[in-house]
Amino acid sequence: MLYSIFHLGPNLIGVPIYSILEIVRSSKFYPIKGAPSVIDGLINLRGKVVTVINTGIAFDTTQVAISEESCIYIFKNNAELKELADLEIDENMSPDNIGLHVEKIEGVINVEKEELQPVPANMAHPFYQHVVRRVDDFIIILKPSKAIILNQTETVKP
Amino acid sequence: MNQSQDIMFNIYNPVITYEHRADYDMIVSQLQEIFPICNQGKCKALEVTDDPQKQKQINDLMEKVEFFSDSLINITKVFFDQLYRAKETSSQSISKSMAKIKIDMIERSLLERTCDVRWWALEKAFWKCITLSNAAQPTASKTSLAPRAKSGPDTDYQKAIDMACSRLEDIRSSYTLYRDLVIVNSMGIVVANSNSERKSLTLGLDVSDELWFQKALETKDGTAYHVQDIARSKLEDQPSLIYATAIRTEGDEYGDAIGVMGVLFDFQGECQMVLNDYLPKGPKGDILDGWFSFFTNSQGRVICSSDQHFIPFGATPELSRSHRYLVKPGESHVSTSIFFGNRSLLVSYHTSGFNEYEGLGWTSHLVLPITAIFERGSDHKVFGITPKELMSSSLIPAQNRQTYQEIQRNKADIQLISINGIVLATDLGKAGKSFMPIFDQITETGSSTTGKMELLLSEMSSDMLQQNLQALTNLSQQAIELIDRNLFERAADVRWWSTDHVLWESLQGTGKKDMEAINKRLQIINASYTMYRDLVVADANGRIVANSKVENRDKLDGQSVSDQFWFRQGMQMSKLVQFAAQDVCDSDLENENTSLIYCSAILENGQRSGKPVGVLGILFDWENQAQPILAGCLPLINNELVHGGAAFYVNRDRVVIATTDERHFPINKVVNIPPENVNLKDGESASGIFSTNDRKYIIGSSGSHGYREYKGLGWTAHVVRAID
Repeated sequence: MLYSIFHLGPNLIGVPIYSILEIVRSSKFYPIKGAPSVIDGLINLRGKVVTVINTGIAFDTTQVAISEESCIYIFKNNAELKELADLEIDENMSPDNIGLHVEKIEGVINVEKEELQPVPANMAHPFYQHVVRRVDDFIIILKPSKAIILNQTETVKP
Repeated sequence: MNQSQDIMFNIYNPVITYEHRADYDMIVSQLQEIFPICNQGKCKALEVTDDPQKQKQINDLMEKVEFFSDSLINITKVFFDQLYRAKETSSQSISKSMAKIKIDMIERSLLERTCDVRWWALEKAFWKCITLSNAAQPTASKTSLAPRAKSGPDTDYQKAIDMACSRLEDIRSSYTLYRDLVIVNSMGIVVANSNSERKSLTLGLDVSDELWFQKALETKDGTAYHVQDIARSKLEDQPSLIYATAIRTEGDEYGDAIGVMGVLFDFQGECQMVLNDYLPKGPKGDILDGWFSFFTNSQGRVICSSDQHFIPFGATPELSRSHRYLVKPGESHVSTSIFFGNRSLLVSYHTSGFNEYEGLGWTSHLVLPITAIFERGSDHKVFGITPKELMSSSLIPAQNRQTYQEIQRNKADIQLISINGIVLATDLGKAGKSFMPIFDQITETGSSTTGKMELLLSEMSSDMLQQNLQALTNLSQQAIELIDRNLFERAADVRWWSTDHVLWESLQGTGKKDMEAINKRLQIINASYTMYRDLVVADANGRIVANSKVENRDKLDGQSVSDQFWFRQGMQMSKLVQFAAQDVCDSDLENENTSLIYCSAILENGQRSGKPVGVLGILFDWENQAQPILAGCLPLINNELVHGGAAFYVNRDRVVIATTDERHFPINKVVNIPPENVNLKDGESASGIFSTNDRKYIIGSSGSHGYREYKGLGWTAHVVRAID
């Protein structure tokens, strides 16, 4: 299965391609007064309203700032996920489209099922689903349905 | 990007290296391959889905990819032009500063010479000797005038000649950059000289037909002198540069001219050193082929060159008119043409003189092979700066920085499109699988072409860094050499003045009148040599007995200096040729906070070796002299100071002793530069990158290696440029 990888501080994080609606450049957010600081604001994607979460704040590293390289992963909402052809995944997404503001995209990798290893118990985290080992790096795979409820918590301490 | 601008270095230009042409071919052909792939993608979209929205999304992505590929192809076309232009521009400005360094170095030395001859001509031994010589044979035929040939009992005259020769020798042993010094009587016959090896050839020569003699005899008073631009003289076998002035009745500056003093500067020796400096050398120490450096005089003839075989003295080198006829001070010309069979960069710089001193109208030329500009630097040291940081630094021309950003943006855009493509293809399920190779190919091409371009840019930026570091190092070397030479002059001054008969005669006397005589003498010297703040004489007990500046006299008279470094050094000397210098410090002899004091012993009976009867201390106007030298060594681009450019001297304790940037590198403060730039052995140079006060700088540093008898005080010169 294909995963798109992005940078989170020193770590590499992967999310399954199927869960992504689109990836766009980050430019301007419509700020929401009173929202938790983990939320950068709203953006408009072809008429859809998307809430954007700052991964830096969400995972307790440096806040992601808008730059030449920063991007927003926009996740499919539950209805869009269910429309997918040939998908054999039993997962429920949020009813709204949620965006993840990340500092930099690394690329796309294909990961075989056998490569997905469980998250070691001492670093267990509700949003981490698997760990993949690649030559010199570890890639942490997020569970998208969990990741999108990040906006409901202030910060997540691993 | 401005496409209408002429492309000077297109890919077929012979200076483009083979590797770069191969890179160009690779980038363009890879990008061209994207178009058929996109076409394939558009067709496939119709094939795999009936959903018009999905079809359109895929179509849009393909068009975006085409757009960015097209943009990258356009960048590639001007890309190499920009790379080569950047290198060319920076090489030109560096070569120009190198040509300037050389002529400045010589001109400063020549400026000192004008002071010397005027002062020496007042010496008692000389006017006495000339007076006797003129009186001895007012009517005799010229050939019989040779003093050496004179047989007879005229012992007073012979004594006077011996005395004059001995004083000339003393001067030459203090000021070692003269080949010979002569005094000539009113008939044009050489009466005395300094170089004992040439005595038999020189004494008695008739130079009345030589221009320097005639012009010097015509000078109106003791402030005037004449310089004879490089020419042949009977005095020497090689071409000579002669400074001359009249010797006057009773040594009075406004007296009648009774003879001439001529001094022969070791021009070839000086020039050779300066010309060979800064030229790149091979492993055996010879100058690399195709590099030349030479000076021409106002007639466009060679007066000295780094290669006597190709560019001999007196030749008119094959230079275009615009290189030969530079006349305005500081005028320069840069061109490319064929020089001795090599396609070369030619840089000429006309002397700019110093203040009122205009120089002799010489021009400095530097020739280097064009290939040297564009070849990759060989030793690329790692300086702990990332290519990205370097690429966005102010070292890189704005245009290249912009291109870099454009490439980065295109690279990121292509990557984003590919990922979104993959997302779309995934949504199509099994049918979408056939898109995967297409997007893989796009990602692959996008990152390999932009990666290659980034690599080329970072190669260029590291070359530029290297080049700039070299330029700063050259400037720092110039700064330290200029100050070494300047301080050598001070060493020569103090050694010579300490032999003055008034000094030792009066110190051996006791009366108030004697000290008054020293005061007066020092006053006259200081009036000619304005680079001193004061001249002081201390007796053997370490009490100041005389000084040159009237306004300081009350304060200094009788002051004890017995515990001061310069005095203690002076009292330990026993030879005429010895001197010492006290490093820049805060001295109570004057109100300024940085004093540089040179000293030499005043020896008993004015002998060449003996017991000191006192010490002469000279207080050099350090800051006011050092500051303009540093200002002349600042890095310039198009005659303007580069951003954050500064130059300063640092003493052994890393304390700044002179600076052009009082704000960032203040005097009397320890400077925060890397230790390897300060701990330099004699004449060593270093370069690097450092940060101070939240600014990042590149730096070139050189250590003092002294000059002739002056051994240096362990100082280092630094020239910096901010890069952020």
